[in-house]
Amino acid sequence: MNLGIDFHTHPLLVREMVARHPELVKPARETFYIGNTFQPIRTFLLELDEAGLDKAVLLPIDAQRTRADMVYNNEQVAELCAMEPRFIGFASVDPMRPDAPQLLEHAIKVLGLRGLKLAPAMQEFFADDRMAYPLYEKALELGIPILFHAGMSWEPGSRLAYGQPLRFENVAADFPQLRIVLAHLAWPWVTEAVALALKYPNVYLDTSALYFDNPRDFLTYAMTHIVPLTVFERSLRNQIVFGSNYPRVEIKNMARAVRGLGFSEECQKLVFRENALRLLGGRA
Amino acid sequence: MIIKMERIEVQSTKDMEMIDITSHLERVVKESGLHNGIVLAMTTHTSSGLIVTEGIECLERDVVAHLDRLAPKEAPPGAPGYWHNRYLDFDGRLGFNAGDHLKSILGGINCFFAVENGKVVRGGRQTVYFVEYDGPLARTVIIQVMGEGA
Repeated sequence: MNLGIDFHTHPLLVREMVARHPELVKPARETFYIGNTFQPIRTFLLELDEAGLDKAVLLPIDAQRTRADMVYNNEQVAELCAMEPRFIGFASVDPMRPDAPQLLEHAIKVLGLRGLKLAPAMQEFFADDRMAYPLYEKALELGIPILFHAGMSWEPGSRLAYGQPLRFENVAADFPQLRIVLAHLAWPWVTEAVALALKYPNVYLDTSALYFDNPRDFLTYAMTHIVPLTVFERSLRNQIVFGSNYPRVEIKNMARAVRGLGFSEECQKLVFRENALRLLGGRA
Repeated sequence: MIIKMERIEVQSTKDMEMIDITSHLERVVKESGLHNGIVLAMTTHTSSGLIVTEGIECLERDVVAHLDRLAPKEAPPGAPGYWHNRYLDFDGRLGFNAGDHLKSILGGINCFFAVENGKVVRGGRQTVYFVEYDGPLARTVIIQVMGEGA
């Protein structure tokens, strides 16, 4: 199958992992605040099937310093990826740790993870903090992308200011070869995120934005009314990747909403697969 | 007096589908030792249902399609739409599947049959379906028997 990639999922409700690691209940319920039932891996895969996709990027969050919790650690992501080849695991490290670059190198070279997830609001750091630069240098050296949570954060205790797109500009400018994804269209700052992507070709945006109404209405609002769809199609078609934010929303529903926006067939292929492949270095 | 309950897991594989669970009811009755009484079944989820109808594929399609016409997943563009289109802080996610909840209400969530001489009494064309309105998901159905043993 070469169908497509969901670039933004969280493996929080995978029943097999909770059975192996009962401590994963706490981050799901008390740090990520997801209330749904735990489901077998098969449900995750069927969700991908229903959405017409074949692979999913799994994102952990190292919130040890700020929440005394790991929303999956890197070893657990690697363990889950070993159980199912349709998963592509990312790492997460705390950029404020002095040994963050070494931890990332281990996660990529030893555990086989494929990218870095950072969540400034939950990890309580600003992306342009120079303390984080050694980590970005390491990501660049390793040839991996960084996906940043951007825009609003739901979790209680999180502050919106960490997700302001302009806090990512220095990173994009200082590391022009580093592939950066700003998640959730950085809503409510979609226009600012689009401006960054227009200016910096190494800045990508993922579609995992849903903060009210439903996927169809919200994405139409964000990707048609806030910024015209033509801007995404004509100017940013190589920098938009499909992401669902599963399990906060079903993959099938986000995929249907993105497909319903009115992108050309060529653009849909880029959004659902080609751009993600480029971010991952050419292979899924 | 026998009262026994079993939880079965039903894995739906699609957004909406009907899954025949008749054999589960018959098995639970047989294993319970119930001779005369009743067997009841209920889905524990509010976006799925239980329906009894003739067990043929064309009807499965019609039932699901009809319920989707009555309670579509998305209100037509421009219509006022469902109230259930908002963030649910207790769930950490958006709730926007009012149509699926409404289908569950319209189609019902339970069924029961008489049990006579250890057999489920049902019409020759009656099939018991678990109905998924918002899958794929692993779902739980409870089956309980009550009555006299042999």
